Formats: sequence, structure tokens, C-alpha cells
Amino acid sequence: MEHGSFTDNSAATFSLTDEDHTIANAVRFTLNQDPRVTFCGYSIPHPSEARVNIRVQTTGDPAREVLKDACQNLMLMCRHVRSTFDKAIEDFKASNAVKAMKIDSLDSSGDDSEESE
Amino acid sequence: MEGASYQRFPRVKIRELKDDYAKFELHDTDASMANALRRVMIAEVPTIAIDLVEIEVNSSVLNDEFIAHRLGLIPLTSQRAMSMRFSRDCDACDGDGQCEFCSVEFHLRAKCISDQTLDVTSNDLYSSDHTVVPVDFTDYAGYESSEQRGIIIVKLRRGQELRLRAIARKGIGKDHAKWSPAATVTFMYEPEIHINEDMMDTLTLEEKQSFVDSSPTRVFDIDPNTQQVVVVDPEAYTYDDEVLKKAEAMGKPGLVEIYAKEDSFIFTIESTGVVKASQLVLNAIEILKQKLDAVRLSEDTVEADDQFGELGAHMRGG
Repeated sequence: MEHGSFTDNSAATFSLTDEDHTIANAVRFTLNQDPRVTFCGYSIPHPSEARVNIRVQTTGDPAREVLKDACQNLMLMCRHVRSTFDKAIEDFKASNAVKAMKIDSLDSSGDDSEESE
Repeated sequence: MEGASYQRFPRVKIRELKDDYAKFELHDTDASMANALRRVMIAEVPTIAIDLVEIEVNSSVLNDEFIAHRLGLIPLTSQRAMSMRFSRDCDACDGDGQCEFCSVEFHLRAKCISDQTLDVTSNDLYSSDHTVVPVDFTDYAGYESSEQRGIIIVKLRRGQELRLRAIARKGIGKDHAKWSPAATVTFMYEPEIHINEDMMDTLTLEEKQSFVDSSPTRVFDIDPNTQQVVVVDPEAYTYDDEVLKKAEAMGKPGLVEIYAKEDSFIFTIESTGVVKASQLVLNAIEILKQKLDAVRLSEDTVEADDQFGELGAHMRGG
């Protein structure tokens, strides 16, 4: 839901329902990274109601487009984190597989000593 | 894109990875992104938990709703959860959760016939879907007992019986904590510790030892070879300023400087066992992307009541 002026669309307040700090703070941060944005902030009108107001003021571009671009950037970042995480898991498992093979030969001798105790 | 944004792309490095525990570092991102990930992991990653219980016979000491509440809290392996539909969105059934696309059926039958107390545990829950079962907590490394342990639901005496049918559905932690897949998710800023070596040299060995001991967690230690104070585990630092206060008390402020790197985080994730810790992070990123998609696409609907509403009235100076 966008609240703004019909003549000047470079400043608007977007009211998102069923949202909270999770997405609002992340979008606010991404909006601040955009050089077209002069002001951006979010507020939660009442904690009992799941609603977030995001205020965006730009240097002339339509606020709606800037918000969409910010969401897009955030999604790119998520995609990147995901692929980086996948790769990190693979690297970790690969390096651990090598370690496990070395530990296996030690394990059998370790078990014997524990059982005798 | 016209103006390129100053966006950096995050890096991930994994420290530890077990089935239910993961520790990894996240660099080059902001606290808002790290917090968003944390919040989604706790409250919005979907899992499966028992949501509807039909009790046929219950002559145990606990009443029906008590047992139903306990059943809801039992963790069920939820790899299927991401691909399942919510019961309310399911169009294959009439939404009360009896079809295979949106629900999983369990049944439990227990009757105590011996004089010994019978423990009804989560192992007695039989599932209609072998991929959704109560999480197995058998500790294979433990040498104490070899029998299967399950979560005790109720204990029965001779003659007492419990028979019920339960339906498990997909849900998120926001609705009820039984659907939360994370035991704890924490992140901390990575500390950067600088020791002022010149000032440190003016201390005696005793003073150095007392300085090292003043920290509640073992961050510093004295190198036995060089008798110098070295940082042995920077991440044990919990941002209590005990060492800084000790340095001031000794009359040497600035002896050590500790900064929190604002764009480096260390995540510690413990899962309840319903999904693997690594899978939890991946699901969280997926859910975050879905939420962003919803925000992006909802902008296309122009609200008819833009003219009405209090915010509109304020904008018009009403």
C-alpha cells in the first residue's frame, strides 16, 4: 500500500501488512546503500498490529521503483549468501573427510583403551 | 540500473558443522541482514508438528489437553516441510487437514498390562509417512545405556490405556513455538583486539598474570617462552569490559583496545533436530527471498483506499 502525492512521486510511505522488523530493517539498510535515496526509515505504528511503514524520499526517481530495486538488490544478496554457504559446506565437508580418514586409524586404538577402563 | 548502489556481497566461512550444530562467519554485510537471518531462522522457517489430536481412550493421570499439548511439542523430522502446503491453502482437501499433501497422520496405542510402570514415549508414535517421524535422539557415542530413548509423553499404571490419532501440519514459529526449528540462534560481532606492546612491557610478570586473570573468559594468556601477553581466543570475549576496567585500575588505560568489527558476524546455530543446522540456514535464506518477492510484487496493486485512511488524511493536512 503506497501513500504519497499524485504530483510528486519521489517521496512516499509504503505500508506493508503482515511484516515486522525482519524485512523492514533489511530493506531500509539496502535502501540506504542506494545513492538515489535522500531519506529512508521505517516505523511500526503499533506492536500489536503486524504492519510496517517504510518512508522513502529520493532525488527525483519514483519512490516505488527505488523500493523495488532495493528489494531486488536484497534478493541478489540472499542468492549470493546461499551459494557462498553451499560452497562453504562443500569445502568444509571435503576438508573434514580428509581429517576423518586420519582419525579413523587412531579411533580403533582409542576404543580399546576406553573399554578396559 | 542507473546509479550503481554501494552494495557489497557477503562472504561465508564455516567453522564447525554437525548435524544439529553449526558455527560460521558472515563477513561484509550489515547487522540488519544478520538479524533478519536470525529472526527468520527462529520464527519463519516452516516445520511439521502435531496440530490436531483425536483421543479415543485416555485413562492416564494426565488429562486430554495436557497430552495433546505435549504431543504438539514433540519434534518431527521436517525435510518435507518446505515443499508441503499449509493446511489452509490446500485445495486437494477441504482444509481440515486430512489429505496427504498438507498433513501427516500419526497414531498411538498403549496399554499397561504389567505391574511395572509403562513409559509411553515418542517412539510409540507411528507415522503414516516414514519421512516424518519423531526425531531420534539416540546418542550413538554414549556408553551408558543402549536402549532406545524417546521423549516420555505419559506414564501408565496397570490397567491404564491411551489410544489416539494425531494429525501433524506445516506451520511457522510465529504461530506457535512448537513449529520453531531452532533451539538457539545467536550471532556476535567479531572482536578485534590490539595489545599495546610498549605499555605491556612496562608491567611485571605478576601484573601481566593478574591482567590475564581479570577476564571472566580465557581471552589472553601468557606465552611461556616469551613471557608476553598474547591473545589466545579472541572470540571468547563477551564484550564485558572487565579487562579494560582492570587496565584502568592498574593505571594503564589504553593497554588493550578492543573493537567490534561492524561488518563481521559469528553465527552459532543449534537446531532441535527437525532439520539439519546447515539446511536451516538455507531454508531461512529461501524464506527471506520469498518474503522479498511478496513485497516487490505487491507494489503492483494500487490501493483503492489511498484516499481514505488516517495516513492519507495526514498527508492531505487533515
